Amino acid sequence: MRGVIVLAMLLLAACDMLPRDPAGTSNRIAHKRTFTVALADPAIDAAPEVQRLVHEIERRTGAKAHWRSGAGEGLFQQLDDGTLDLVIGRFLAESPWAMDVAFGPPLSKTGTKAAPLELKAAMRNGENRWIMTVERASRAISQEAREE
Amino acid sequence: MSETSLPDELREPMARAVRLEYWNIFWTLTIIVTMGLVLGQSQTMKTAWIEDTLGLVPPVMFLIAAHMERHAHRSRRFPFGFERVNGLGFFVAAVALTAVGALLLYNALIALGAAEHASVGSIVILGQDIWLGWLMIAAQIYSLIPPLFIGRKELPLAQALNDKLLHTDALMNKANWLTGAAGLAGIIGLGLGWWWADSVAAAIISLDVLNDGIKALRSSTAELVDGAPRALSSTDLSEDAQSLCDRLKAEFPGATIRLRETGRLIRAEVHDTHPPAQCRHPRYYWPEGEDKAWRLAQVSFIPPVEGKRGN
Repeated sequence: MRGVIVLAMLLLAACDMLPRDPAGTSNRIAHKRTFTVALADPAIDAAPEVQRLVHEIERRTGAKAHWRSGAGEGLFQQLDDGTLDLVIGRFLAESPWAMDVAFGPPLSKTGTKAAPLELKAAMRNGENRWIMTVERASRAISQEAREE
Repeated sequence: MSETSLPDELREPMARAVRLEYWNIFWTLTIIVTMGLVLGQSQTMKTAWIEDTLGLVPPVMFLIAAHMERHAHRSRRFPFGFERVNGLGFFVAAVALTAVGALLLYNALIALGAAEHASVGSIVILGQDIWLGWLMIAAQIYSLIPPLFIGRKELPLAQALNDKLLHTDALMNKANWLTGAAGLAGIIGLGLGWWWADSVAAAIISLDVLNDGIKALRSSTAELVDGAPRALSSTDLSEDAQSLCDRLKAEFPGATIRLRETGRLIRAEVHDTHPPAQCRHPRYYWPEGEDKAWRLAQVSFIPPVEGKRGN
């Protein structure tokens, strides 16, 4: 019985060990206590989910958001380069960028049935721990994200 | 010899093999569904999933060939029955394995060259956020179990039936733990932040698929172009056939012996000699007792051309 409990504890510890980020995004954010974020479209600043998401990530990581300006495809390039940690915007549900960046679950949906738009966060591909942190934060602040 | 292509002695083991292959398909489908549910962006998972899907080709080809061999009768249009359908099935399975193996290897190398970082996020199960990688690992472990048992059961049946298609499938199933281990290492490596582990594991799995395909292709084409009978598990010449050749050479000194394989059966041609005076069934010439004498379906004699020796 004691062995089973020890094994279960080890497995639980292992569960928290993985995943890690290849480029160390989560470690850097924890170390520097800051992460960079930009809006793909300045107009979405008015959406309440944006501020709630950023605050939730700040609460979970203990880091402050550092806002950057910019727009469009250039932001995805900065994500890929690792000079930006988070891009929030309204993107197509079937976004052509889906293979180039990692999208979090949608915080809200607008647009038409044929071309639905989703308000969601985009992260650098492969940074799986950071992606998971943002996904958890998205689900924590949005019913839409929890149902995804 | 029965009216169908299948020797009567093989009806019982063939029926068992057919039942086993239906179970094989059932368990393979459960693996395909389980793996498909947790694929994500991982190259390793996609490659392992395609490999598992390809695992359906040998049992399906075997069942088609077995149906033809057991139920289709010889006719005016098919006077030799359908004993070579198994060889054709083996060839089709070999082409599928080789082509897909090469394609998977290409994809894995491209992903490695482009330094693609696979994103594996989380899903919610019972209110808990779980990293999808853990489910991938669970699916990989599940995918290891059924093939091990099926491969073990297939091997003796493949030997009893002298069935290369079944034998190749048995070996692929038995060796599945190797690709499973590579898949597990790929996902765990990805979790540890080694982005390259995913593509490297995918490349290892695809190399294994390609290797299986090339071996099967060499053996199956040898049969289709009337090459000498090959061993079950390799492209070497069959020991049975070599013993038969020696036996015929001893019986007909100076004759040229040519053997070829039609499915699980062997056909022999004895050149430059006249047939013996007494009438003998081909099985008379089988060298190693009666147990596999059914393999020798035909012995033909080609007398020398008058005034000329050699052919």
